[in-house]
Amino acid sequence: MGVLTRAVRNVSRRKMRTFLVIIALSLSMAIMISIPAGIMANQKAAQSIIENYNNTITSMQEEINKTSTLIEISASSRRGMFFGTPSGMPFPGFGQEEAFINATVVDEISTIEGVKDIVPFLEVSSEETTEDTMSTPRGSFTISRPVYTITGVCLKSTLIDNYSILPTNVIDGRNLIEGDSGVIGISLNLSDYYSVYVGDKLKVYGETFKVVGIYNSTARTVYMNITDAQRITNNIGNVTRLDVYAQGISYVNSIADVIEAAYPELYVTTYEDRLANLERTQAMYETTLENAESTISQTQAVAFQEILIAIVATSLIVLFMMLYTVRERTKEIGILKAIGFSNWNVMIQFILEGILLSAMAGGVGALIGIVGAPVISSLLLPSVNPFSAQQPGFPRQNINFGTALSQSVTVTPDLQTLLLAFGVFLLLGALGSLYPAWRAARTSPMEALRYE
Amino acid sequence: MSNLVLETENLEKVYTIGRRKINALSDVNLRVNKGDFVAIMGPSGSGKTTLLNLLGCLDRPTNGKVILDDIDVTRVPEKALWKFRKHKIGFIFQTFNLLPYLSAIENVELPMEGTKKSKSEKRKRAHELLEIVGLSARKEHKPPRLSAGEQQRVAIARALANNPTILLADEPTGNLDMKTSFEIVRLLSKLNLTQGTTIVMVTHDSNVASRAGRILFLSDGKLLNREKKGMHLLKGDLTCPHCHKPIQPDHTFCPRCGKKIE
Ligand SMILES: Nc1ncnc2c1ncn2[C@@H]1O[C@H](COP(=O)(O)OP(=O)(O)OP(=O)(O)O)[C@@H](O)[C@H]1O
Ligand SMILES: [Mg+2]
Repeated sequence: MGVLTRAVRNVSRRKMRTFLVIIALSLSMAIMISIPAGIMANQKAAQSIIENYNNTITSMQEEINKTSTLIEISASSRRGMFFGTPSGMPFPGFGQEEAFINATVVDEISTIEGVKDIVPFLEVSSEETTEDTMSTPRGSFTISRPVYTITGVCLKSTLIDNYSILPTNVIDGRNLIEGDSGVIGISLNLSDYYSVYVGDKLKVYGETFKVVGIYNSTARTVYMNITDAQRITNNIGNVTRLDVYAQGISYVNSIADVIEAAYPELYVTTYEDRLANLERTQAMYETTLENAESTISQTQAVAFQEILIAIVATSLIVLFMMLYTVRERTKEIGILKAIGFSNWNVMIQFILEGILLSAMAGGVGALIGIVGAPVISSLLLPSVNPFSAQQPGFPRQNINFGTALSQSVTVTPDLQTLLLAFGVFLLLGALGSLYPAWRAARTSPMEALRYE
Repeated sequence: MSNLVLETENLEKVYTIGRRKINALSDVNLRVNKGDFVAIMGPSGSGKTTLLNLLGCLDRPTNGKVILDDIDVTRVPEKALWKFRKHKIGFIFQTFNLLPYLSAIENVELPMEGTKKSKSEKRKRAHELLEIVGLSARKEHKPPRLSAGEQQRVAIARALANNPTILLADEPTGNLDMKTSFEIVRLLSKLNLTQGTTIVMVTHDSNVASRAGRILFLSDGKLLNREKKGMHLLKGDLTCPHCHKPIQPDHTFCPRCGKKIE
């Protein structure tokens, strides 16, 4: 029967008090492990966003470099806003009427010196529309937008074999080939939306097309022969954009100058424009990331304060609890000293009880923290939005520190945090009971024995 | 060297409450020999507890010396006094002062904590002591489940745990009825006679005091000159554990049944 047994008996003797103290202390422990978990999860998530962003920028750069001889010409300003990815149209036909380039323009451009090939596209919105609810800072409103985009492409094999015209990620069926008519390739998203698969029929502008291939894409798009597209949409002789390929980089600027001079209503984008565009985007992203980092470090300051409060609260709870215990057990201290316990023996007794309490609370708190870290950290850390600009590739919603920035990172305290926090907790138990134990130790045995 | 185990020289204790000074003890010269059974009597407030606390190193005198086993404990620093309390003194209180959350045997083991004894040795010793005070059957019970007399027996066993030089008992029968008082004092005198335990006992009760070898009187903080001899060895007090016939304290074998007396 040693000092530890007595500590255990004393702690378990006052069940209600021990229970209440453990509840209070364990919450403090849960906070101490949940907050770092929340912060760490979001740092990881921010890291992965930055990596994603770097990858995106790199692949865009590669794309642009591959198409150094490409001059993009479009009838509306829409293209180029999204760094000219050849097939990327995040908002199909959203809020804008298509403008057209007449086929005669195509013939005229082909006569300009240095032009190697011209690839025409016809991009039109579907007839079918869908209601979408958009939420913005000024409230949410419903808009009606086309279900999908139709892209009519020129299926000459000399073009589709040499340039990036059709999507290449066919996951079912085949891609479009020269001579195809009455058939379409559709994106996976659209396939799911309409439940049409390879071999099925889809009605587009009143005409029935057979689906021959599915592209792995989250956009909703239909690819078909440009002549089919022109016919069904009543656009014979019209295109919406042209990809003009120069014979060499040296021709690019002169071709662009000639086109801009001859057709001021058209939008001309060259390799240099696209590069400049990319650089602007990159700069914008970098500022945003810097903001994000400073916001996260601000949050860290809040987190630090909260952990400090938890530490102080823990020490105070232990301190007052143990002061109360020592006072309550004055008689016992007197007895122990009268039968020969040294000051040190008495002190150890109470410090051990403090540590025991904090160990039990630490265990309970660790469990609460492991289960409740997402809730606790989201309650205690401010909800901030470091990625304020609504840009593709960045999360649009506010950062909720309970759920981490990206789904792949979960808010769970890691073992290291857990052990560290537990160690700190034991230390706080010892520190908090130090003064009460010291007071217990110096009690005069005679006075203590008279105490009732 | 003499048989003297405890001696006080001009012991004086003054309590100060605010500006008032209380002379609780003055000029007490007490000598206790090895094997003595001393009873100290005196009216309430005469300083009996004060004296016992000074003898037991629980408090410090204002003046004078307390010499325990040839050591002047008044000069031992506070930090080291616990050694004297632990090894030289066994304290018995009026209110027993057992730890309520420990069993009888655990209470008896308590003073042995931190001594060289092994766990099993402590257990064995505690068991022996409970046997001596006649409580081995109740060793696992906690104090609240024991009668007052039984609790005092446990307290006596605890006081004996480290084989102290002297047993100090402050009104050990103060909270007991007449019959139980008699049993407890009988136990003390048996210890004194059979084990040679030196005892200083404070009491109000002259019946209880009469069982001691010497009776001293304290009045107004002063030890009176008259010292009475107690009846000490009453016929029939000591009996053979085997045949229950009266024996003498120096007997190692029962003269009646011839068996060995432990
Ligand atoms: N700690 C203290 N502070 C102040 N005065 C005290 C203290 N302890 C005892 N006294 C006083 O000293 C005197 C002697 O007290 P003490 O307790 O020694 O008497 P006692 O003989 O044991 O009495 P009783 O028979 O009632 O136990 C009393 O007047 C008491 O009020
Ligand atoms: Mg008294």
